[in-house]
Amino acid sequence: MTRIIFRLLLSFLVFVSIFILIRHFLIPDTFGENGHYRAYSVIENKNKTLYYKGNEACSECHQDILELTESDLHSEVSCESCHPPKIDATTECKVNPPIVKGTIIFCAQCHEMNLGRLKKGVPQLDIQEHKGDQNCIECHNPHAPWELTEIE
Amino acid sequence: MGTNRDRINNKRRKFFQTSAALLGGAVVFSIMKPVELLAQPKEEEPSKDNKENLPLWGMGVDISKCVGCGKCVEACKIENNVPTEPFYFRTWIEQYTVKNDGEVKIESPNGGIGGLKQSVPDEEIFKSFMVPKLCNQCSDAPCVQACPVGATYISPDGVVLVDETYCIGCSYCIQACPYGARFMNPVTKVADKCTFCYHRISNDLEPACVEVCPTNARIFGNLRDKKGDLVKFLQKNPTQTLKPHLNTKSKVFYNGLSSEVR
Repeated sequence: MTRIIFRLLLSFLVFVSIFILIRHFLIPDTFGENGHYRAYSVIENKNKTLYYKGNEACSECHQDILELTESDLHSEVSCESCHPPKIDATTECKVNPPIVKGTIIFCAQCHEMNLGRLKKGVPQLDIQEHKGDQNCIECHNPHAPWELTEIE
Repeated sequence: MGTNRDRINNKRRKFFQTSAALLGGAVVFSIMKPVELLAQPKEEEPSKDNKENLPLWGMGVDISKCVGCGKCVEACKIENNVPTEPFYFRTWIEQYTVKNDGEVKIESPNGGIGGLKQSVPDEEIFKSFMVPKLCNQCSDAPCVQACPVGATYISPDGVVLVDETYCIGCSYCIQACPYGARFMNPVTKVADKCTFCYHRISNDLEPACVEVCPTNARIFGNLRDKKGDLVKFLQKNPTQTLKPHLNTKSKVFYNGLSSEVR
């Protein structure tokens, strides 16, 4: 009788220890430290690659343009709104300069007439009627839009 | 007869002895366990007092300022390596147009990249406005509850994140999200969503969408910082969250939200 109970207990112990062992290997490290997730995943999410550098990084070389921008209506617009980076922020932007956009289609993104964006402080134009055949940057300096260029 | 009774008595005695031993062992073990825990060095778990010191990230969206230029959508895609196909978005802008007959038209071609264009003639429009959408970073997130493996979770500073190495790609969270803010990333084959640019905000930078917004329609900040921009925005403006009846306790607050917005 005792042997049967002993065997039963033994097999029970074996099964429990196998379960604990498998569980130990299946559950990743740091799981459950702060909740029902892998705590290290927070650090992994923190360590992703940066792309956008911010105005301060641009001002290291282009202080003059930044000052010009701040003097006019585009002062609220950050550099990378119009010059999105091509590569991650660790690389020098001289090696792979940001994209420069100066076409009508690009300016139209904000300034083309649309009832949804009227009266929000952004001038709305019927681009076709306003520009004729010219490109916006022929008259307007994109960094200081009210610094107009004289057309002959 | 006598021997039989002895045998029974012996069995009974043994039974009582073993059960007493087991019970005693269990009691000793249950006493020892807390003592052991006390002896261990305390782990750096963000306790409640500690959590008060951590930021609680949130965002304000000012619909009256958004012009629907799509810069935020573009920036988000660059910053977070979101595939450029027009159906993968961590954030996107919707243009709502209410016609004179009361019909509501919602458009979001390519998520708003390249600027939203009005497709309804001006005479027919009653009103029109842009609504930027993103993950609402719920405090009671349905996606976190739906995840069967614990691969999506709320970080100690209140951002809903995805554990990309642990996600099994079952898509339950995508179905659970009432805001449609999640998608299956075709490159990593796991669930993807807005993280408030967690790698940026942890380095004292603003999320990419906030950084590039030309009209400052997005305000990002710490909800616990009583002097911060976001708290000031919430104090000044009557704000609302999306789908408040779902009790998700979202942390993205809209100013000027119209009842047409879904």
